[in-house]
Amino acid sequence: MAQCVQSVHEFIQDSFVPMVAVLCSEDAEKVTRKNNLNFSELLRPFCRLTSEGHMRDPNNQVQVVKNLRISVNNVVTRPSVPASGTPSLAQRLLLSEVVSTCQPAEGGVANVITAGDYDLNISATTPWFEAYRETFLQSMPAADHEFLNHYLACLLVVSSSEAVPVEKFLKLSQEQHRIQHSGEYTNPKWFIPNTLKYYVLLHDMSQGDEHRADSVYEDMKQRYGAQGCYLLKVNSRTAAAGADEQIPDPWSQYLHKSSLQSQDHYEESASVLANNTAVENNVGGTPELDGHHSEERDGSLVNSLDSTHPLQLDTSGDTPGSLDALRAVAVETKAGTAAAAAASHGACLTLNDHDRIRQFIQEFTFRGLLPHIEKNIRQLNDQLVSRKGLSRSLFSATKKWFGGGKVPEKSIAELKNTSGLLYPPEAPELQIRKMADLCFLVQHYELAYSCYHTAKKDFLSDQAMLYAAGALEMAAVSAFLQGGAPRPYPAHYMDTAIQTYRDVCKNMHLAERCALLSAEILKSQAKFSDAATLLIKMTSEDCDLRSALLLEQAAHCFINMRNPMVRKFAFHMILAGHRFSKAGQKRHALRCYCQAMQVYKGKGWSLAEDHINFTIGRQSFTLRQPENAVSAFRHILTNESQQASSQQAAFLREYLYVYKNVTGVCDVALPQLPLPYINSSATRVYFGHERRLAEGEKQAATHVSLDQEFDRDLAAMWRDLEEQVVASANRGVVPATFQATQCCLNSQTDNLRFPLAVVEEPIIVEVVFRNPLKVPLVLSDVSLLWKFTLKDFSRPQDAAVGDALAFSNEKETLVPGVGARLKLLPHQTGQLNILGLVYNLASTPSTGGTTVSSSAALKSDVRGRQDLEIQGPRLNQTKEEKTSVSHGPDRRLDPTITPPMPLLEVFFLQFPTALLCGEIRKAYVEFCNVSGVPLCGLRVVSTHPDFFTFGSSSLATPLTPLSPTSFENCSAYKTLATPPGATPGSVAAVTLVSAGDFGLGEGGSGTSNGVAEIPLEDRVLKPGQSTQLPLWLRGPDHEGVHEINFLFYYESAVKGGKISHRVLRHTVFICASRSLCVRATACRSNTLPEEEAEEEDERRNGSMLVFVDVENINTNEAGVREFHIAQVSSSSKQWRLHRCINPAEDKDCKLNSRERGKLCFRATRCKPVQATSAAIEKYIFADLSLGNEQIISSTTPCADFFFRRLSRSQGAGPGGGAEDLTSLVRKCNEVDLDIIVLWKAFVVEDNKQVILEGQLHVALQTIGKEACSLTQKEEAQEMVLLKFKPELPPPMTRPSMEQLSHLIKTNLHYPESYRHPFIHKSLCLVPVTLTLSNCSLAQVDVIIDLRHKTTSPESLEVHGSFTWLGQTQYKLQLRAQEVMRVPLRACFLHAGVYNLGTPRVFAKLADQGAMCETSQQTATPALIIIINDT
Amino acid sequence: MAVCIAVIAKENYPLYIRSVPTQNELKFHYTVHTSLDVVEEKISAVGKAMADQRELYLGLLYPTEDYKVYGYVTNSKVKFVIVVDSSNTSLRDNEIRSMFRKLHNSFTDVMCNPFYNPGDTIQSKAFDGMVSAMMVQAS
Repeated sequence: MAQCVQSVHEFIQDSFVPMVAVLCSEDAEKVTRKNNLNFSELLRPFCRLTSEGHMRDPNNQVQVVKNLRISVNNVVTRPSVPASGTPSLAQRLLLSEVVSTCQPAEGGVANVITAGDYDLNISATTPWFEAYRETFLQSMPAADHEFLNHYLACLLVVSSSEAVPVEKFLKLSQEQHRIQHSGEYTNPKWFIPNTLKYYVLLHDMSQGDEHRADSVYEDMKQRYGAQGCYLLKVNSRTAAAGADEQIPDPWSQYLHKSSLQSQDHYEESASVLANNTAVENNVGGTPELDGHHSEERDGSLVNSLDSTHPLQLDTSGDTPGSLDALRAVAVETKAGTAAAAAASHGACLTLNDHDRIRQFIQEFTFRGLLPHIEKNIRQLNDQLVSRKGLSRSLFSATKKWFGGGKVPEKSIAELKNTSGLLYPPEAPELQIRKMADLCFLVQHYELAYSCYHTAKKDFLSDQAMLYAAGALEMAAVSAFLQGGAPRPYPAHYMDTAIQTYRDVCKNMHLAERCALLSAEILKSQAKFSDAATLLIKMTSEDCDLRSALLLEQAAHCFINMRNPMVRKFAFHMILAGHRFSKAGQKRHALRCYCQAMQVYKGKGWSLAEDHINFTIGRQSFTLRQPENAVSAFRHILTNESQQASSQQAAFLREYLYVYKNVTGVCDVALPQLPLPYINSSATRVYFGHERRLAEGEKQAATHVSLDQEFDRDLAAMWRDLEEQVVASANRGVVPATFQATQCCLNSQTDNLRFPLAVVEEPIIVEVVFRNPLKVPLVLSDVSLLWKFTLKDFSRPQDAAVGDALAFSNEKETLVPGVGARLKLLPHQTGQLNILGLVYNLASTPSTGGTTVSSSAALKSDVRGRQDLEIQGPRLNQTKEEKTSVSHGPDRRLDPTITPPMPLLEVFFLQFPTALLCGEIRKAYVEFCNVSGVPLCGLRVVSTHPDFFTFGSSSLATPLTPLSPTSFENCSAYKTLATPPGATPGSVAAVTLVSAGDFGLGEGGSGTSNGVAEIPLEDRVLKPGQSTQLPLWLRGPDHEGVHEINFLFYYESAVKGGKISHRVLRHTVFICASRSLCVRATACRSNTLPEEEAEEEDERRNGSMLVFVDVENINTNEAGVREFHIAQVSSSSKQWRLHRCINPAEDKDCKLNSRERGKLCFRATRCKPVQATSAAIEKYIFADLSLGNEQIISSTTPCADFFFRRLSRSQGAGPGGGAEDLTSLVRKCNEVDLDIIVLWKAFVVEDNKQVILEGQLHVALQTIGKEACSLTQKEEAQEMVLLKFKPELPPPMTRPSMEQLSHLIKTNLHYPESYRHPFIHKSLCLVPVTLTLSNCSLAQVDVIIDLRHKTTSPESLEVHGSFTWLGQTQYKLQLRAQEVMRVPLRACFLHAGVYNLGTPRVFAKLADQGAMCETSQQTATPALIIIINDT
Repeated sequence: MAVCIAVIAKENYPLYIRSVPTQNELKFHYTVHTSLDVVEEKISAVGKAMADQRELYLGLLYPTEDYKVYGYVTNSKVKFVIVVDSSNTSLRDNEIRSMFRKLHNSFTDVMCNPFYNPGDTIQSKAFDGMVSAMMVQAS
């Protein structure tokens, strides 16, 4: 229970005070009227006695009466409905009015209660409850079973201006007597038959004759005794005179909440409505309200007597319909009273008059009332004492026995009802109760208690339950109020009383009073738990207001406990709030919910929290506090709600409705909407136009689009490419300020710097929404909010900001997880800040067809905004950043608008998606400058530089058809018809080409990284201009799908802009399928140079055999019918293919599926002139056409791809130069010959035969080692073991024996068969020439040993033996590449076949002294047939 | 059987609340929340006397007109609350006790799940099933 202003004792004392009735003559009334008051009102502020009174109890003990208050009321004679237990309608209205007018002060002091982890702000006092309680107690109808609020005395007031005041007094006295004793009126109940009459002569100082008044008073004294009359002089000043004087107005606080007066109002208004007996009542009734005098004097008195009582309405049938009207009237009258109150009370009274009134009350009480009470107590006590000795039971037994007694049995039986026995008012059983009440009123609680206690016993034994309950109640109260050594407060008395009142007597009124008292007492004893239980028990369905107030008090009890029960407090507050709202007390309801909210807020009890928020929202809205309502509703929607979807839909609808009303009121700034959530970190910003991907045949560069997901690896790849191309554009150096271009910013990109946007190029912002609700939300009219600061980068500032930007918006219905894309188009340069979003929010109605929904959606949507605030990435660099949580900036939404830049668009024509490995295809690429600024420095870089070529600019190929349509018939290659006479493959045509012509100058900067400058005419693309260039593509060497990325780089022709360059990305996917596999081997030729006498050069340079194995490994048997090897070309700096030496019948090289063919070529070393002259960089291209036309391999597509391949493999090649032993030795085995196999494939495609062309490269590097067009590297690289040990440097290996054995090439020249007549000459001498040729580039010492004989027995048997004649060992020195012939003679003894290959040649490098000679590889068996020539 | 079963974290926010679907869920939330006051009162009353070997079962917290609310507190101050219908007189104290024990065991299993982050709401199927078995089958 909340704290009260009064203490408990005060409260209880004031609840039961001596009642004094007032009967007032009309003139007297007139006198008081001047002060805007009636007589009882006039006295009211002075009814509390400030001084102590004394009286003697029956034992003659002096009893001190302190702080006594008396209650002075007009006599009201309206018949009372026997206390039915249910409060009347009027009373309810009154109470509800009292409660609703008493609101907590705005911003009133609230005390903070800390309980556990809760900090609650609770208003400590509940003045509305106190007001209610006071009003309730005052409006208690007088009951028969108790006398506390029966009138003890009656003031008879007559004005001194009366003609014969004494007569008037007499009249009033008779009147009082009539009211009390005639039996006409049941209602004003009187305590004791001989009521104290106190005669008051009211003298108006401003009017009357004071002397006359004094004399009348003297007369009265004579008549009624000095104790029984009083002369009260008032109105000492005229109203007009003292207007300026400020006099305290003690009435205001009493009259403002004066129950009686407002009761009067209700009655009056109610009687107007009721309209049955109203005419009589109203004529002169309540003159203070009507403000006019009644003509009939007598009538007026009667009327004023019986005019008002709260229970009047129960008699006049009220209909529910009249209730509202009644309330309306009530409000009006209330306004009326307020106005009346404004006209101040007591205007004619001076402070002296106040004192006089105070003195009068004191005089009356001490001289009149208290002695009167004292006398009566004594009398009653005497009666009781006289009856002492007879036990109560005996008394009642005798009563029953003798029947007669004072109370007839019959009447008792008649009066018996559910609540037990009813006694007649003057029954002797009530005497003790009467005495107890008297004692209680004069604060003699000890005596009162014992009387109540006795009475209780009597009543209980009589089964007079109502009486017993009353006695119990008062016994408990007086026990509590006893000072000194009090007996323990008998709480069970109260409980029994309440229970009896409620259950037996069905009198809720009394039960409630009892509960209020009891609760207050329990509270004062800190028995909060009991008090709460008591209060909660008193709540019932029939009266919402009472239940609400009691629940609220119970809640306060819970929070005031020693261990505050916060949750119970909250729960009961909610219950109270609910009841308040049912009772129509919206303000109180809202307050209760708000207090309860403090407990539930943010503790995870979302369901309850939502409920409270929803209620708060509703209540706030009905109370015209839309801001609060909106915030409460917003809470429901922003929390991760666990409500059902229907509930959410209801919340949303309500929210939107309330919101709409709020915005209707104030539309200054768009308010923030809570829904849907914006995942601001997922916001993406895209700079540039949206790409059209395909336009007829053209296929635009893919570039970047918002539909792509961000891929970190890809981004790094693009960045690398851009770095490469920027480096190449800046002569190999990447500028320090280099920043990769970012077209699409998201959470993973680097957003530290302000992004740059170009004027007249759109900025697209993608905002990602999330709908936390289970119901769909409709967003419409979505647009961006932005701020723009004009900044001209070239000129001084001039233009206005107003229309600097234009909007273009997209409309979107939100499905959860979808974003909206919004576009901004800047028209001027400056700094743009994108702030947020503006949109209309609506909910889709859950029911109804589409037509309904569209109209309903229109009605219920609200416009609001949401800000976009992007938090940057968490900083984690320094120690401070690691220990604290700080975030970096994110400037995604703050682009700087820069002056115009060129904008390139690239289109591809006839770009294939699938290629055979090595296939050559010609496509076209179109560059288009769509901006207003010229463009230059166009470059392209790719991840696969050997995939494409733009051709070499220096060797323009006029023969190549430019028109793309002629492609199908024409070869991508430049061809020459072979002369008709020539046999295919006979002699190779030779061309010399420099690598530099193909953009691959050796050692040139940046050539190996795949950057290619695009050969534009005059290097600039003017605004709006477009160029088409041919583009040759070559299928990748490996089958599978290849992702090939192009990055086009370009710059503005106007330098010095904020953006140094721009890029355009393109990604293609090429599906490569297998075509041919070419393996090639080079072998040393053993043919004798002599035999090829016609070519002198080659004798010296040596020759080589090249075997080319071609296998058709294509798996698509249906599509690709056959492959033709059209031509085999070679390219090398030193070697060239010389001729095809295939068997003649194998000329047309067709390869069906899975077929394999072998080609044999002879390669010769080129002339030394060619090799050593200035053109060492030049490559020799030799074409050996196998078909009927020659493809010039040294021109654009073919040679381009060759060089591109070369440029890639070069990096891995051995870095020549170091003339050490190993390399020297290796050199002699190196060939460095590249074979280009050009093929044609006959492919059936859509029932049409298409010829595809292609080329495959094989690089021969070492003699005897097979090279393949397909490198098998990939498989080996699949799984690379991680090596943690540093790789050992390759040891300085001595050249292996195998390698050293190839230093010298030997050749024996001899006749194949030799005829010799052995008969004539037994020895056959055959001249043999041993040719030694030094393969290496160093001087070699050679030892030829002929002594050695074949030792193997096998050879002996087969060949027999022969001997070398002459010198058997030669020591020679061969210079580099020198050829030396050594004449030898062999001697044969028999005819037969002999192997001449017995000379053993040892060689060592001349300058490597330490090294021993290595046996050189012997040539093939050299067989000679010796024929016996007979 | 129970009409509402709730698990409340040490900090008095709900880890798990399940009630008979036919009834007003909100009401049970309020009931359970309010019962926490009594739980705390009981803990503080018992806690001083014998902190260690205190009985986990708290018994009847309070009866309302329609329901009886029973409480149980684990040693880590996690609270279990079971609400049963007042009309159901067949339920004895022992049965309630065994229900709590089952609940506690099941809760322990949930806590043992290495993927369960203590303090999160319980979303275990096994726990759900066990609770359903203890609930009044709405018919």
